[in-house]
Amino acid sequence: MPVSLLHWFGLILAMASSAGLVQAESWPAADWPLEPVPASPAIAELEAYAFPARDDEQRTGVRTDALLVIRDGRVVYERYAGPTRAATPHLTWSMSKSLLATTLGVAYGQGRFQLDAPVAQYYPPFARHPGIKVGHLLNWASGLDWREDYEYAPLKSSVVAMLYTRGRADMAAFTAAHADAVAPGTRFRYSSGDSNVLSAALKGMVGAEAYADYPWTALFEPLGITSAVWETDPAGTFIASSYAYLSARDLARVGLLMQRDGRWGEQQLLPPAWVAFNRTPLATYQAQTAQAGDAVPGGHWWLNAELPGAARPWADAPADAFAALGHWGQGLYVLPTEKLVIVRYADDRDASFQHNQLLKRVTAAFAREVQP
Amino acid sequence: MIRRRPLRTLLLVSVLLLVGLGWHNRAHLQAFPDIISAYTAKEYCSCRYVMNNPAPYCDGYVSQYVPVSQLLDDQSRKRVTASGLGRSNSAVWLGPRQGCQLLPAASTSPPP
Repeated sequence: MPVSLLHWFGLILAMASSAGLVQAESWPAADWPLEPVPASPAIAELEAYAFPARDDEQRTGVRTDALLVIRDGRVVYERYAGPTRAATPHLTWSMSKSLLATTLGVAYGQGRFQLDAPVAQYYPPFARHPGIKVGHLLNWASGLDWREDYEYAPLKSSVVAMLYTRGRADMAAFTAAHADAVAPGTRFRYSSGDSNVLSAALKGMVGAEAYADYPWTALFEPLGITSAVWETDPAGTFIASSYAYLSARDLARVGLLMQRDGRWGEQQLLPPAWVAFNRTPLATYQAQTAQAGDAVPGGHWWLNAELPGAARPWADAPADAFAALGHWGQGLYVLPTEKLVIVRYADDRDASFQHNQLLKRVTAAFAREVQP
Repeated sequence: MIRRRPLRTLLLVSVLLLVGLGWHNRAHLQAFPDIISAYTAKEYCSCRYVMNNPAPYCDGYVSQYVPVSQLLDDQSRKRVTASGLGRSNSAVWLGPRQGCQLLPAASTSPPP
């Protein structure tokens, strides 16, 4: 039976165009596609900043463990230092908060909760705080009387007590026992307790049975992430404030998901409205009272937003840059216009490292001319 | 009395103030000595058994300005016990996805 020439022509055209699509957009499969970039003075300057002679004795200065740069879905730079290797699931510290937000985004897309619903609807011990809604926790604006200090003021630090002493058996319940200080939504106060209450609320949203595997089934497995470890407290709640671990290459997958507005290949894993919420500054945030270089709080992600009356936090990075940030210099930076995703793992024990200095050098070394 | 014994009065007032402050912060003060051993046990366990870093590196990684008197790593059970400021705390590795967890204070016995 003769097949019409036109039919064949159409088929070949369709195959060519779909092949073209695949080529135009790179995604990691079992591993990342590589696009090695030749050495340049800009890369040398980046390395001089990120990888100076490492001081493991006094632990001073910039101490980068891993630096990975993805451009438009391909690895353009990767280097490890200290004991960290490509396969090391490195502690993310407070980047865990943004990983929880992205896990919550999948649940949001499944219609499991509303941003303006009271937290108590999903986490009953929060009944004593009826005015605090899910969105308030995601903006770090619960209004709870919380003190977030680490090793320099440990006596009254809420976060140290939560992780290591009085709160460690049930971190969400420990947070819930704090008093209300101001009305929810009116004040930004960075709080690791807010993140662990969100983590406990996720249990109520998806059910206790699904919860134990939920970060894997909802987020890690669809993205091909195999290295993830997420520690729980004895109540079985993921310690979303602090204790997720991933290899640099796996964390970069979350960055690419965010860079592409929640889409992973053909699948819209996060609703675009959810990513837009992550990237919207807290409305009541007082940028003029922030310290220089402090990023703007969004929905459990950090923004380089330029707000009225204040300079952009990272002057040499684009205004649409956003990040997950953690203690001791951890960072997952997303630069959507430049199509860059940057993972930095570190063990910075002093304040030498500055996000702006890193981003300035990474964009100088790897950003392509952006098409107008 | 103030005029006759000014130093003794000052001392008495200071002691009363300290006792008052201590009572006011009793929950914080009671938990405080546990911080260093709990921190050390938990972060050492995760450094060794989650991040798979070498033991000498993890020794340096967990060191703080308050020293610990003892750090025991029971490799067969992946259980780490640290002691300092008169308290002991243990963390144990639970599994490849769960990582390490601090054990409840009651189940932590001081090392023999």
